[in-house]
Amino acid sequence: MEDDWRPLLGPDWSGESYATQSVTDSLDSKTRRPFHVEPRNIVEEDPLERVSAEASIMSSRMNYYSRLTGSSDRLLVPPDHVIPAPEEIYVYSPLGTAFKVHGGDGSARNPSIITIFAIWNAMMGTSILSIPWGIKQAGFTFGILIIISVGLMTLYCCYRVLKSSKSIPYIDTSDWEFHDVCKYYLGAPGQWSSLIFSMVSLIGAMVVYWVLMSNFLFNTGEFIYNYVHNISMADADFGTNGTDRVICPFPGTQPERNGSLTLFALSDNSTEAPLFEHLWSKTNTVPFYLIILLLPLLNFRSASFFARFTFLGTISVMYLIFLVTLKAFRLGFHLEFHWFHHTEFFVPEFRVLFPQLTGVLTLAFFIHNCVITLMKSNQHQQNNVRDLSVAYVLVGVTYLYVGVLVFAVFPSPPLSKECIEPNFLDNFPSSDIWVFVARMCLFFQMTTVYPLLGYLVRVQIMGQIFGKHYPGFFHVLFLNVVIVAAGVLMARFYPNIGSIIRYAGAFCGLALVFVLPSVVHMISLHRIGKLRWPSATFHSLLIALGFANLLGQFFM
Amino acid sequence: MSSTAMKKKVLLMGKSGSGKTSMRSIIFANYIARDTRRLGATIDVEHSHVRFLGNLVLNLWDCGGQDTFMENYFTSQRDNIFRNVEVLIYVFDVESRELEKDMHYYQSCLEAILQNSPDAKVFCLVHKMDLVQEDQRDLIFKEREEDLRRLSRPLACTCFRTSIWDETLYKAWSSIVYQLIPNVQQLESNLRNFAQIIEADEVLLFERATFLVISHYQCKEQRDAHRFEKISNIIKQFKLSCSKLAASFQSMEVRNSNFAAFIDVFTSNTYVMVIMSDPSIPSAATLINIRNARKHFEKLERVDGPKHSLHMRMR
Repeated sequence: MEDDWRPLLGPDWSGESYATQSVTDSLDSKTRRPFHVEPRNIVEEDPLERVSAEASIMSSRMNYYSRLTGSSDRLLVPPDHVIPAPEEIYVYSPLGTAFKVHGGDGSARNPSIITIFAIWNAMMGTSILSIPWGIKQAGFTFGILIIISVGLMTLYCCYRVLKSSKSIPYIDTSDWEFHDVCKYYLGAPGQWSSLIFSMVSLIGAMVVYWVLMSNFLFNTGEFIYNYVHNISMADADFGTNGTDRVICPFPGTQPERNGSLTLFALSDNSTEAPLFEHLWSKTNTVPFYLIILLLPLLNFRSASFFARFTFLGTISVMYLIFLVTLKAFRLGFHLEFHWFHHTEFFVPEFRVLFPQLTGVLTLAFFIHNCVITLMKSNQHQQNNVRDLSVAYVLVGVTYLYVGVLVFAVFPSPPLSKECIEPNFLDNFPSSDIWVFVARMCLFFQMTTVYPLLGYLVRVQIMGQIFGKHYPGFFHVLFLNVVIVAAGVLMARFYPNIGSIIRYAGAFCGLALVFVLPSVVHMISLHRIGKLRWPSATFHSLLIALGFANLLGQFFM
Repeated sequence: MSSTAMKKKVLLMGKSGSGKTSMRSIIFANYIARDTRRLGATIDVEHSHVRFLGNLVLNLWDCGGQDTFMENYFTSQRDNIFRNVEVLIYVFDVESRELEKDMHYYQSCLEAILQNSPDAKVFCLVHKMDLVQEDQRDLIFKEREEDLRRLSRPLACTCFRTSIWDETLYKAWSSIVYQLIPNVQQLESNLRNFAQIIEADEVLLFERATFLVISHYQCKEQRDAHRFEKISNIIKQFKLSCSKLAASFQSMEVRNSNFAAFIDVFTSNTYVMVIMSDPSIPSAATLINIRNARKHFEKLERVDGPKHSLHMRMR
């Protein structure tokens, strides 16, 4: 009877407070108190640790409250925020030892450097390949200025997203993501719009991945074929001579140039391997071969297997940085500054096509849909803003480095800067061994990220429509076929990743980067009556810039 | 004029969902019956006859969500509800989004109280404080307290902040009980004398129905600040188990080589708990002491005359 009500986590009543305690007494007390544990039997680093008074009274309370309701009644179930922290919970075994509960996955705490690295890794996407083209479209000086200013703007909006869940009173928002915050402030339209625009960014990324994977697989296959059959493709494309060839795949597509340029035939006139050319074409056949590889991977039920390969992305980016530095050494700098007019080989420093760069950068700096989740595991939460800023600065520096270097070393006397391709690896022939390695690394990395993205899309869409993540094999198959078809069609008919990235970036950036964080912030200030004119005008200006960014993609 | 007492009421009022039923269940160790979980708007008022402090009766009144029923309370059933009220305990939900409506209901209650039972004591509980972030709790409670004090004039209200998940609920109700016992200081000084005479380590006085601590005397510092609430919970759990066997709890003795503790009926409103750290004193001696003290304390409860006593009065 006595043991019925004794709380499981009770303070240590034996020991120090009673000076004389005979051995028989302590034995007696042990037999009568099966859940009392001698301090030396508590298994953890500090053996003198006792259960805290708060945990002990909470246990007593919970014991009592559980008697007052039926077991299925949820009225007196303790909410999460009153349960003691994992550090204070002991699990008792009937044999008399007690183990401390170490924090589970939910409370994993990473030091700042890991968090910064995780954010850098998440933001570094395939947009890095389009930054040199973007700088070319905006002009060199203007491009650098735009990268810095768009980086700062997106950083501010990301800071707003991060802080958005903190100003909600009375509700425990510790496991909310940004679309929950939108739902709280804006109701169902807010939640749906944030989900839909997030979908756009994911599906846009998947389409870009398909185009790039077709590209890399094609080039890899061509390299291997040419290497095996000892074919040299040196004269097939227009480009520089020498060991470090840089080519211009589409020399005729320069709308502003007045000069004419002889179009070189892109197809090989040799009769050596027409069959291979037929079977292995970048736009006609390779995108379809990819279906065999990737569609089965998309149908996996869980994507946790692919999550292990995130290190491949880091390796690929590091290798790209190394490759760009190597090419810079080999090719040397070719820069000339013409401020407002075109020349034969160079582009102006300030161009009207700059919205294309801002569109690309909106997707390049995009992490707003998952920044809250990423920063949750930061050890020192008070440093969140500092760590986010450091991560953004690192990302910006990486993009600037790659973009500026590729633009600057592009050999301009024989080739025009206009030749820089939206995927700058296209400017190197398939016989270049360094670039071949880069293409292979990126191909493997993308084949592991593609199913992850597909899983995210599936979870969100299926979760919203059907309420569960895997409603049925055919539902998921249908969704995957739709996504793959979009990728294949884009790879077949319009494989210009620069355009895909800028449209997708401007569209989803409009909602998730510019409009929703600013609107949510203004509403939260307005609700507590602290919305002042400078703040309102600044955030309205941000929203207007978001719309201008989107419109600029269509008109420029 | 009847010779029996008119039952004095303790009204526990508040908006639907503010936590009154849980609170009452926890303080009075009632099982929460499943059928009190409403599936729709409250259309009836719950009368629970829990005896409290002798002959007070707790009435739980639920201000149901719909305004039509509230208006009904304050018009046609007004006299019925608000007459003979000794204590009004009004519960506010701290995360309520309709502050003006809450204050409007509260003020209607106060008007009715002023008209029908102007001597009633008013207590306001700001409940569910665990949902507020820790660093904001004092601030929010002070704001509410000022508003409520202002709105309650000319009546004086005592405000507490409470949550069922920490010790504030127990402390608030203990304070309420303390203020309702008429001659509590005298009781405390007599308790001190009693404890010193019988050489007890600690003596506690509990209210009979709820085991809320009314007063206590301790001769040295004790380690566990939560012990009052723990004892209360333990005994209430025991009472619940006893009631399943259709038995009622009367007294208890707990003894081991280090101490002896006695819990026994004391006066008509109270239980006493005596803790002796000298186990060589036989139980019989302590029990005789308690029995003799009982007579003295019961006289104390009657001594200050009918105007302060909570006992039955002739009217």
